[in-house]
Amino acid sequence: MYGNTGKVIYINCSTGKTEIVSLDEDVYKNFIGGSGLAAKLFWDYADFDADPLSEKAVLILINGPLAGVPLSGTSRMSAVARSPLTGALAESSCGGYFPPQLRYAGYDGIIISGKCTVPSIIHIAHGSFNIVSSEELWGKTVGEAYVKIKEQYGERSRTLIIGPAGEHGVSYACILSDAHHAFGRCGLGAIMGSKNIKAIVIEPHKTIMKYFEEQKVKSLIKELTPRIKEYIISQVLHEFGSAGNLEGHMYTGDVPIKNWTSNFNEEMAEKLTGSTLTEKYLTKTGTCAYCVVACKRIVKVDEGPYSIPEGPGPEYETVAALGCLLGSSDLAAVCKAGRLCNEFGLDSISTGATIAWAMEAFEKGDLTEKDTGGITLRWGDMPTVIDTIIPSIARKEGPLGQLLSKGSRLAAKSINNNLIKYTAQSKGLEAPMHDPRGGGHGHALAYAVSPRGACHVSTAMHFMETGACNYPEIGFEFDLEALTDEKKPETMVLATAIGSIENSACFCQYADRSLTFAEMVGILNAVSGYHYSLQDALDAGWRIYHLKRLINHRFGLRACDDALTERMLEPARDGEPQGIMINFDGMIQRFYELMNMDNVEGVATVDTLHKYGLEQEAAIVWKKRK
Amino acid sequence: MGKYYKDTEELYTIYGYFLDNILKDPKIGSKLAKAGIVIKFVYTDPDAEITIDLKNPPKKEGYYGTFYLGKCDIEADVWSSQPADHSHRFWHGLENPIAGVAKGIIKQGGKVTAMLKLLPVIKPTFQQFPIALKEMGREDLIVTK
Ligand code: SF4
Repeated sequence: MYGNTGKVIYINCSTGKTEIVSLDEDVYKNFIGGSGLAAKLFWDYADFDADPLSEKAVLILINGPLAGVPLSGTSRMSAVARSPLTGALAESSCGGYFPPQLRYAGYDGIIISGKCTVPSIIHIAHGSFNIVSSEELWGKTVGEAYVKIKEQYGERSRTLIIGPAGEHGVSYACILSDAHHAFGRCGLGAIMGSKNIKAIVIEPHKTIMKYFEEQKVKSLIKELTPRIKEYIISQVLHEFGSAGNLEGHMYTGDVPIKNWTSNFNEEMAEKLTGSTLTEKYLTKTGTCAYCVVACKRIVKVDEGPYSIPEGPGPEYETVAALGCLLGSSDLAAVCKAGRLCNEFGLDSISTGATIAWAMEAFEKGDLTEKDTGGITLRWGDMPTVIDTIIPSIARKEGPLGQLLSKGSRLAAKSINNNLIKYTAQSKGLEAPMHDPRGGGHGHALAYAVSPRGACHVSTAMHFMETGACNYPEIGFEFDLEALTDEKKPETMVLATAIGSIENSACFCQYADRSLTFAEMVGILNAVSGYHYSLQDALDAGWRIYHLKRLINHRFGLRACDDALTERMLEPARDGEPQGIMINFDGMIQRFYELMNMDNVEGVATVDTLHKYGLEQEAAIVWKKRK
Repeated sequence: MGKYYKDTEELYTIYGYFLDNILKDPKIGSKLAKAGIVIKFVYTDPDAEITIDLKNPPKKEGYYGTFYLGKCDIEADVWSSQPADHSHRFWHGLENPIAGVAKGIIKQGGKVTAMLKLLPVIKPTFQQFPIALKEMGREDLIVTK
């Protein structure tokens, strides 16, 4: 086998049983790796009746086939499970330095089931792995645990760690890699916590990778690296971070403000944008393994109430979720709130969105001090957010902490179903910080049909609609108008395949923006020997998408769950998109039609599933239905 | 030759009038000046070159920067090259510059991030460009969607 090792670690934390699962080449070719292969393994290993935080639940981490190749944006992995936040398929992708080490250790991934009797870590070293009790780490923040682990296992060890939020089962707890890079979404940290796993630690291994075409890989790396570095998007990312275009997004109406009640705020545009972050607080840039873009921020706030020592700084989603969405243009406060989320192991998007929901509900009188335990919620009140709300969510403390730790949809339901109207989510996953009403109507479709819920990275729509990519080799050379539905369902068909490929081959959607589709497939073939034609690669992307939809169907989700909330579809009240309506129903029905999906069941027709080789899976889902 | 400009002189006449307006506009001009850079625009069909100096003290009183039509010796911090027709549509707000780069229509070099920062600032000028054309009696060059 090339690129991949064909071996996945299996650990049952309850029994202590460990084994190496060997996978056939065909499985890789059909499901690529990363999130596609993880979804396939989830299908094979999951107990579909299990509660996401129960002993029976599984958590699967799988490398992309290119992890370990010294090319920007390719050393990444995906994690898959059932989400405690949504009840649907959870998936999240992460870069950093862990994935290449796992590959060099000889493994493509880890399947974790069961529950350890005491808090533990999974330790991988010298090609072997075991569970080690680590009660002393339980209760520690991500940063504290990281320091302790480094002391014990060496400076060069790489880590995946959960914080107190994961330990307490907060439904949107995340997993941090080396205390900086995150498997941010869907509550994967809570699943790790429910298994009593505080961390996964890997010690450095010798760099060994076997490529299908050694020379070709080397020459592709040489050719693509300078292009990736010089690409305009890479330059913005390097200089100003992913928040570099916050100002630009603001003027298109893409940035949701005060819980999606506004689409424009000039002061926030200036005070929160990436160049301001660079000027005021950046001390240095950070990066993922082998990436020349280096979009990560290391920041320090020297003085004032929000001072923080040098450490990971906020990226775009965090700045918008903990700034714009909460009605604050205080960048120092955003840095501190973002740092707290990291330390507690909380997804900053869901944290910001859930607090913003509560602020609006409180303002309208639908949430009262009785519900919040006497805490007053006010737009832009960052001292309360930082000192009280975030810590109480992370520890599920008090009525407010308990309420908000459920995420916005469940929190709303637990007070009054009517309060769902203030939420901005799909399938229970809080939407990222791109408002389809201004950012592009295709985003609305992408959020709705994404298997994990409102997400702008599970498909390539975000970049296709904003004009950041162009793939004439597979028929995508449309000039899309952001604020219409024109050609969006057609684009979405391609976007699902490309997104599945990006998340399964684990290409970073920033670093590899300048690559053509043919180049992405070319490097994949040269490393792993998949022999994909462009059509084969697209088919693999659609196969993966349909499989994920089947998984959701087994969890009880149907087409009616591909919905956006009232707030996300009402006409924008100000800014560039003011008053414009999204033709959501038209787009989604056309998308189902083009994808040969049943518009009630929300999955592909039997014939379509057969076309992608999903006969057994189709038999289970469609038979169950009959 | 492109669709909109019959020759270089015509392009200079139109851009000269337009730039004169925006570089003395207190709201837009003052924000542009904050960039502190020299930008060179290179056009094809017709071939032309325009340099906007937002770095050195403005040559004329009441202006926030200086522009030069045709080749000039001032060293640019950033340059951008594109067909004149594409630029004409851009100033109407009808072209996405990121898509232009992705498709290879626009080529750029130097401090491109500094130039990108100007995009939100120049957005209001998209309304002014057709107005300028009208003032010049060139309604025939106004482009609609
Ligand atoms: S662009 Fe940023 S997120 Fe992507 S691989 Fe590079 S450093 Fe990591």
